[in-house]
Amino acid sequence: MTASHETRAIATGRRDASDASMPTGGRGTRARSRLLFLLPAVLLVGVLSLAPFVWTVGRSLFDDAVIDPQFNWFASYARLVSDPVIIKSLGNTVMWLVGTVIIPVGLGLAIAALTSSVSWGRWARLAIVLPYALSGTAVAVVWNFMLQDSGALNSLLRGLGLDALAHPWLLEWPGNTIVLILANSWQASGVAVILYLVGLQGVPRETVEAAALDGVDGLKRFFHIVLPQLRGTTAVVMGISLANGLKSFDLIWVLTNGGPGRATETLAVSMYWQSFVLQRPGSGAAIAVVLTIVVVAISVAYLRKQLKND
Amino acid sequence: MNPTSRPSAALRSALVIVLALVWFIPTYLIVVNAFTSNTGYTGEVAWFPKDFDLLENIALAWQAVNLGPSLLNSLLYAVVAGALAVLVAAFAGFAVSAIPGGRRTFWFWLIYSGALFPAQAFLRPLFTGYADTGLYDTRWGLFLIYVATCVPFSFFIMRNHMLSIPPEINEAAQLDGANWWRVFIHFFLPLSKPALAAAFIFQFVWVWNELLFGITLSYSEQIRPVMAALAGLQSNYGTVGPPVVLAGALFVSLPTVLVFLLFQRAFASSLGGAKV
Repeated sequence: MTASHETRAIATGRRDASDASMPTGGRGTRARSRLLFLLPAVLLVGVLSLAPFVWTVGRSLFDDAVIDPQFNWFASYARLVSDPVIIKSLGNTVMWLVGTVIIPVGLGLAIAALTSSVSWGRWARLAIVLPYALSGTAVAVVWNFMLQDSGALNSLLRGLGLDALAHPWLLEWPGNTIVLILANSWQASGVAVILYLVGLQGVPRETVEAAALDGVDGLKRFFHIVLPQLRGTTAVVMGISLANGLKSFDLIWVLTNGGPGRATETLAVSMYWQSFVLQRPGSGAAIAVVLTIVVVAISVAYLRKQLKND
Repeated sequence: MNPTSRPSAALRSALVIVLALVWFIPTYLIVVNAFTSNTGYTGEVAWFPKDFDLLENIALAWQAVNLGPSLLNSLLYAVVAGALAVLVAAFAGFAVSAIPGGRRTFWFWLIYSGALFPAQAFLRPLFTGYADTGLYDTRWGLFLIYVATCVPFSFFIMRNHMLSIPPEINEAAQLDGANWWRVFIHFFLPLSKPALAAAFIFQFVWVWNELLFGITLSYSEQIRPVMAALAGLQSNYGTVGPPVVLAGALFVSLPTVLVFLLFQRAFASSLGGAKV
């Protein structure tokens, strides 16, 4: 890790020193070819992502009229916190964030650690990581089959004589948001497992063995010796999982449409409802801006860690 | 052996088995029920295999939502747009890692920021812009947005990889009088094959699985990507029958599952943003 830092420093140093003696043209042509190499990427990202985002920010300061909207400062944002549907959506988003930290991150760590300590762990891991290759839409199909009234979960409960526990899982709030978070975790834990496995391989064997010789064992060894070494990995796993959780749209949209009665929406789905179903572009844009700020803040926090590490 | 480690080893194994089973049960049930005969489906979940009607169910799903064109579309979007994005990203990665010049951090964040934004950040202006320019519900429109959304993360992978290529190669080529284009084509591109492959695999899976742009920027069966077709199939759950929907979901998931199984290592390295 530090080695690459050094090479980079050496590299830039050498380049600066040899600038004058470079045979191919002067600074002008070099700057020009650099821009040419950058141009396609900058154009694509600029025109199709950054410019539309700036437009969204501007649009959030106008009202909801589709034709001839009026400038009204932060009224769209103010309306968000007075609209009961959006307040519920904000609450659901917080539940998603908490659930994401507990399940994909916590369980991902547990699964990575447990499966790397048994010899046939590879196979167990495969079952857990595989759903990660599925689309949110396919995951929604799977969990619709599991959770609906005549679905597999109720069939299992009735088969076991637990009829009292069988109920329409997707209809009642907050239970429906919780099962959505669980369905998302079924897919999303795979990322955490993969990343923690890489992290675990980086924990020096000697440290763990030395601790074992000192009689520190089991859970204590894991929490006091291994876990502190995984701090960097945990930051990255948490950042990626939280950002993905916040962006999660397909699963909720296909499974419940955000319903019933818009009760299972998170901000990602509310934005779609306001912008495209209800045609209220002002409040849709305001939700998009709030969502973007949260996602970017979380991502930058973990990226700073990641970029510093390599 | 520590006396306490024996029971805890058994406990660990038991935990792993339980977790793996919990994870595997939905997959198992999907496969079993996708094989179940659609006409014979009673509305009760099948817990054990009884029929062998997977192909019939896939055919029914194919007819119900006209899977043919959407499969071809997604192949185009995922393969061609994915590959083009990785190439564009390699250009930009080369520019910020190999060609000396200032404002590296500025260019890095300008391009990479595209990977951080949720799609919602630019969905509505994209929709209205597409409607105004005639790109709405065209293959070109979806192709363009998929290239644009794949560039930033591929750029991240390519830049990280190219920073690890020894600068001596670059300098030696320059002394031989090679211009930047030739340095890129003859040295950096061939040396970046593993990173190019990892980025492409990652983007292929991303585009194949994408739904939000698909349903927002297109609507016709001839243009929409495959996950939009699957979402359409799911919304007809009651009329076409559960085994057909499950078989359809299995079928359209096959490409990404296979790619994932074959290239797990590439996934691990691109996810970590690590050097390949």
